Amino acid sequence: MSAVIEDVTASRPSSLEALGHALRRNPTIFIGATLLALLVIMAAVAPWITADPFRLSPINRLRPPSERWWFGTDQFGRDVFARTIHGARVSLVIGLSVAFISSVLGLAIGLVCGYFRAVDAVVMRVMDGLMAIPSILLAIALITLTRPGLGIVIVAIVIPELPRIARVVRSVVLSIRSQPFIESAVSGGTGDGMLLVRHILPNTLAPLIVQSTYVCASAMLIEAGLSFLGAGVPPEIPSWGNIIAQGRTFFQIAPWSILIPGAFLALTVLAVNMLGDGLRDRLDPRLARRM
Amino acid sequence: MNVLEVRDLATHFFTRDGVVRAVDGVSFDLAAGETLGIVGESGCGKSVTALSILRLIAPEAGRIVGGSVRFGGRELTALSNEEIRGIRGHEISMIFQEPMTSLNPVMTIGTQIAENVAQHWRVSWRAALDRAQEMLDFVGIADSRRRLGEYPHQLSGGMRQRVMIAIALSCNPKVLIADEPTTALDVTIQAQILDLMLGLKEKFGTAIVMITHDLGVVAETTQRVAVMYAGRKVEEASVERLFARPMHPYTRGLMRAIPHLDADAEIAGRRPRLHEITGIVPSLTRPIPGCAFAPRCAFAVERCRAERPVLEAWESGHTAACWEVARVLAAA
Repeated sequence: MSAVIEDVTASRPSSLEALGHALRRNPTIFIGATLLALLVIMAAVAPWITADPFRLSPINRLRPPSERWWFGTDQFGRDVFARTIHGARVSLVIGLSVAFISSVLGLAIGLVCGYFRAVDAVVMRVMDGLMAIPSILLAIALITLTRPGLGIVIVAIVIPELPRIARVVRSVVLSIRSQPFIESAVSGGTGDGMLLVRHILPNTLAPLIVQSTYVCASAMLIEAGLSFLGAGVPPEIPSWGNIIAQGRTFFQIAPWSILIPGAFLALTVLAVNMLGDGLRDRLDPRLARRM
Repeated sequence: MNVLEVRDLATHFFTRDGVVRAVDGVSFDLAAGETLGIVGESGCGKSVTALSILRLIAPEAGRIVGGSVRFGGRELTALSNEEIRGIRGHEISMIFQEPMTSLNPVMTIGTQIAENVAQHWRVSWRAALDRAQEMLDFVGIADSRRRLGEYPHQLSGGMRQRVMIAIALSCNPKVLIADEPTTALDVTIQAQILDLMLGLKEKFGTAIVMITHDLGVVAETTQRVAVMYAGRKVEEASVERLFARPMHPYTRGLMRAIPHLDADAEIAGRRPRLHEITGIVPSLTRPIPGCAFAPRCAFAVERCRAERPVLEAWESGHTAACWEVARVLAAA
């Protein structure tokens, strides 16, 4: 019997140190995550830190930003600060739920398509078809068929975003499938179900998370676009798209009611994308090795 | 007593360019506790033979078209998928060439060993983990309790191959098929891994099929050797006989191709040329009428190109498929 192998790996650093190290290596994740966390907190406590976003005050309409109305007021005298902060709720809810729903469905579709080749040919052509549908047109069609609401907007955005996730997962499954460790698991008597859930699925999570952050960001942008066109959430709900749409007639007199929610939208999308880019650099071994 | 009997095994791949006869009528026996070497160049069908035994050939690429694989009274080629899964990793295990990629990167090594145990022995997870730790001790990995929770990237290549051996032997298999187990390792680690495999074979009474292109590995580890060429067995003998009196010109070519370190010649600056077997392994898509080795063979005569040589026992326990054995031996 041969000699016992010596321990070659260094002792592990504490989790706190590891976190600090990761932050220094990946400032984009840190900035993105912090911005996003601030926005989430802001959206969560919105009712307690702002005035009523629905309260009309015609006497105070189109007031510029001041101590009383931080972001000014719109043409009905509603507080733009209150509406913008509440608008974050709509954007975040839509972004996160679209990301979540399309990740779960896309993961399932991608796993099945990548693993069972017979299903693949049919389902992926359907996915290609879905991808060809512009989400704006789909949303307008869906809303004319039903009543406008948050749910229908989410569905309208999920359908065209779903193939993006399914494609990424499928391609990862295809490459994982040909890895020697899958062959060796099969040679150990592992069945299809076990192979998919225990060996393949965990390996797809990193690219899935990265892709879902991009879907989240694009969902927020699409929602704003839909609301701006009047095909999104009902106009009385203060979403950033709605605020911008209602403010556009008075842009020359009251630019704040467009610029401020616009800046928030840009900032939120930027934060989510930074988080996604940072995670990609961190989780994608090919990129990580280069650093 | 033979644990494994392979008879006329044929595995073909169906490609756009035609049928590739990767394994075309291979037979061998494996006795309990024995180590059998299967040697040959790349592309001669060694690995496909190994994969065919456990029916691991991807069905969309190829399939076993003939022959039988008997294991303990059961015909493996006729089992249901469910039944063959119960044998894989349990009664017949396999180790592959690539220790760096043969472990799942996102699972701890403890989980990977315990999963094999829990799957085949139907024991609790706790018991499976205990077995995993015991296996790590057997394969000589220090601090096994802590190592159970580590991931493959935290281990070196040699240690990963030890883990692969631990997984393969975790259910006390009767047969271990090792497909080039040391090829990807440093030379210094190779000997350790081979020693470990032989030690554990003694301990567990496992029979080993050692697939390799390295005659050094064969000489060190095996008792009997089958030499394969172009999907067929061309010679089989005990390891001593094979090295003392190789009968097939291909076996001779392989042996001449082993580089020797000649210190005197090195000092004198006369480094001897390495020998090679000229030519390449023939394409297996078209049936070869005569001996597949004839185009590369110095002894080939007219008959070799026309008529396929049959395996014949020229001495007791030493078979070779060659028409010109007498001339080959005389030339030695």
